[in-house]
Amino acid sequence: MGPRLTSLILKEFIQFSRNRVVLVLILFLYTGEVVNCTVALSNDIKHLLLTVLDFDRTPESRNLERSFFAGEEFKLAAHSASEAEAGDMLQSGRASLALIIPTGFARELAQGAPSSIQILLDGTNSNTAAIARGYALGVVDRFERRSLANIAGTPAAVVQPVLRVWYNPDLTFTRFMVLSMIAAAALMVGVIQPAASIVHERELGTIEQLMVTPITTGELFLAKTLPTLLTGLLAVFPSLLIAWWFGVPLRGSLLLFVALTALFLLSAIGIGVLIAAVARTLQQALLLAFFGLFPVMFLSGTFVPIKSMPDFLQKSSLLSPVRYYTDIILGIFLKGAGFAELWPQTFALLAIGSVLFSCSLLMFRRN
Amino acid sequence: MNPLRIGAVIAKEARELWRDPVTVGISLLMPLVMLFLFGYAVTLDINNVALGVLDRDATPASRSLTDSFVRSGYFRLAQVFDSTHDIDAALQRGSVDLALVIPERFQATIARGEAPSVQLLLDGTYSDTAQVVAGYADTIVRSYGRVPAGHVRVEMRVWYNAEMRSANYVVPGLFAVILMAFPPLLTALAIVREKETGAIQQVLASPLMASEFIAGKLIPYGAVAFIQILMVMAAGFFWFDIPFRGNAAFLLLAGSIYVLCTVGLGLLISTMARRQVTALLLAMILTLMPSMLFSGFVFPIFTMPYLLQLYTFAFPARYFVEVSRGIVLKGSGPGELWPNIMMLVAYTAIVFVIAAARLRKKVA
Repeated sequence: MGPRLTSLILKEFIQFSRNRVVLVLILFLYTGEVVNCTVALSNDIKHLLLTVLDFDRTPESRNLERSFFAGEEFKLAAHSASEAEAGDMLQSGRASLALIIPTGFARELAQGAPSSIQILLDGTNSNTAAIARGYALGVVDRFERRSLANIAGTPAAVVQPVLRVWYNPDLTFTRFMVLSMIAAAALMVGVIQPAASIVHERELGTIEQLMVTPITTGELFLAKTLPTLLTGLLAVFPSLLIAWWFGVPLRGSLLLFVALTALFLLSAIGIGVLIAAVARTLQQALLLAFFGLFPVMFLSGTFVPIKSMPDFLQKSSLLSPVRYYTDIILGIFLKGAGFAELWPQTFALLAIGSVLFSCSLLMFRRN
Repeated sequence: MNPLRIGAVIAKEARELWRDPVTVGISLLMPLVMLFLFGYAVTLDINNVALGVLDRDATPASRSLTDSFVRSGYFRLAQVFDSTHDIDAALQRGSVDLALVIPERFQATIARGEAPSVQLLLDGTYSDTAQVVAGYADTIVRSYGRVPAGHVRVEMRVWYNAEMRSANYVVPGLFAVILMAFPPLLTALAIVREKETGAIQQVLASPLMASEFIAGKLIPYGAVAFIQILMVMAAGFFWFDIPFRGNAAFLLLAGSIYVLCTVGLGLLISTMARRQVTALLLAMILTLMPSMLFSGFVFPIFTMPYLLQLYTFAFPARYFVEVSRGIVLKGSGPGELWPNIMMLVAYTAIVFVIAAARLRKKVA
C-alpha cells in the first residue's frame, strides 16, 4: 500500500468520523433498534381476548369455558349478555373471539347426541385468526376427548407424537430476530454509506480534483469502500454483545462469522457503488438506496418466512444476498455449522458479491 | 402568509420534481412494489416442507403414516434416512426441516391396541416456520388411524375477512406504511437539500417568509402522497379484490389528517439534520421502521411486552393502521374510531408546534 493510498484512506476516515450524527444513527441501528425489535416483535400468539356468551349455564358449559382459559392461549375479555354485545366487542376490537354456548349443550352432550357451539372470530388479521382458530379447535378437541373418556373407554389417540425441537428448543422468535436484525443493519449501512459518500463528493465537484491528481480510479474506489467495510465489521461487535445478552448461543466459529460478514458487506457495498454510479444527485442516490434496500431485505425472510412466499418470490429470493447471510448467521450461531455445511451459501454470496463488485468497479471507472 | 409567494415556491418545487425522473419514478413505482411484495407474501401458511423419514418398522402401517404426511399437501418427502447419524447431518445442512422417526414394531404395537410413539425432530432456527410445522405434524400424527369423534360440533364463523385472506389484512395496513415511507423522506430531503447547497440562505434573505417557504415545500409532497394513496387503493381494490365496507369519504378525511402528520414529521426531521444522509437515516429510524414494525401492520401489538406496547403509541402509524383497517374491513365509522382520529389530530398538532419552535430558534 503506497503512501498515496494511505493518505487517501485516512482522508475518508476523517471525513467519515466527522459526521457524528450519522455515526450515532448507525450505532443505534446496530444496537437500539436490534433490542427494540427483539423484545417487541414475535409471532408467538398468546392471550387472545375471548368473550364468552353462555346460554346453557350448566357445569358442563362452565367446564368448556374453563378449558379455554386453562392455557396461555386465551384471556377472558368479558362475559357478554347477548349476541349483540358479543358482536360489539368484536367490532370495537375489545375481543378477537367470541364463544357462544347454546342452551341444551350439556343435555345433548350427556345423551351422546352431537352438541354444537359457535365461535365468532375476528378475521382482520388473517395470521392471528388462523392461529386462533387452531387454538380454539384444539381446546374443543381436548375437551371432547376428556368428556368422552368419562363416558366410555375410547382411547385418546392411536399414535403419540413426541416432538423434539433442535437448535431453538423453546421455539422463541428472539434468536431469529436478533440475528436477522444484525443482517438488516449491516445491509443498510453497507449500501447507504458508500453511495452517499461518492455522490456527495461528485455533487461538491471535489471528485474532479481527485481525478486530476495521480490517484488511480482503483485507489479511489478502495478508499471509498474501505471505511464502510471496516465500520460495518466493527459495528457488528456491539450487536454481538446484545445477542449474548439475549442468550443467543454462539455455537460455531467467531472467525468464520466475521469473515462471512465481510463477504456480505462486499455485496452491500457493491449495491451502494452501483447506485452512486446511476444517481446524478444525492437525493436520487438516497431514494435509489431506499428503493433497492426494500426488496433485498424483504426477500431475506425477516418479515415473512421464505417458505410461506409464493413460488416466484421464493425463486427471486435466491438473488438476495441477505437470504444467504441470514442462513449463515443462523447456522453459525444456533446450529454450530461450519464451512462444511455452509459452503453453498458462501459460494452464492461470493458469486453475487463478485458480480456486484465488478459491475460497480466498471461503472465507477466509466464515471 | 401570501398565497402568491407560496404558489411560487410550489411551482419551483414542482418543476424540480418534474425534472427529476428518478425521484418521480421511485415515488410512483415503490408503493406498488411494496404492495405486491406484502400483498402476496405476508402469510404464515407453509407448504413444501422438506420431510426426512427414518422408518425402522417398514410395514404397511408405518408407510401409511409417512403417506399421510405427504398427502396432507404440506410436506414433501425430501430424504429417506438409514441411521440417526444421517438425520443430524441433514438438519445441520438444512436439507430437511422435519425428521420423522418411526420405531420398530410400530405396526405390531398398534395391533396390540397400544399407542406407539413416533419421534419428530424439528429444526427450530426459523421459529415462525417451525411453529407452524410443529402444529401440522402434531395434528397429522394424532389424527392417524383415529375416527373423528364429532361429538362437539364447532360452528366457526369468521367475521370481516371470512376467507382469512392475508391481502385483505395487509393492504389497508399498507396505506399507513406507504404514507410513512415517502412524504416524510421527500419533504425532509427537499428542505435539507437546500441547506446542504446553501440555497436556504438566499431564501431566508428574500422577502419570502419562513412559513411560506415551508408551506410551499410541504404542499407538493402532500400531493405526491395523495397520488400514491389513490394508486395503492386502486391496485388493492381492483387487483387484490379487497372488500370495501366503510365510507370512502371518511377514509379520505382520515387519510388527509395522516398525510399532514407525515409531512409534519418530515419537517421536524429537516430541522434535526444538516445533511441529506442524516435525514435519510433519521427518516428510516423515526418513520419507516416504526411504521412497519411497531404499528401492528405485520406484527400484532398485543403480543408485545407492556412497555413496548406503550412505545408503539409514540408513532402515528399505529393509529392510522387501525383506522384504515376498521373502515375498509369492518365498515367502522367515526363512532368506533374517534379515539384514534383524535390521537392523530393531537399528534399532528404537537409535531407542527415542535417543528415551528425549532425553526424559529434557528432563524433567530
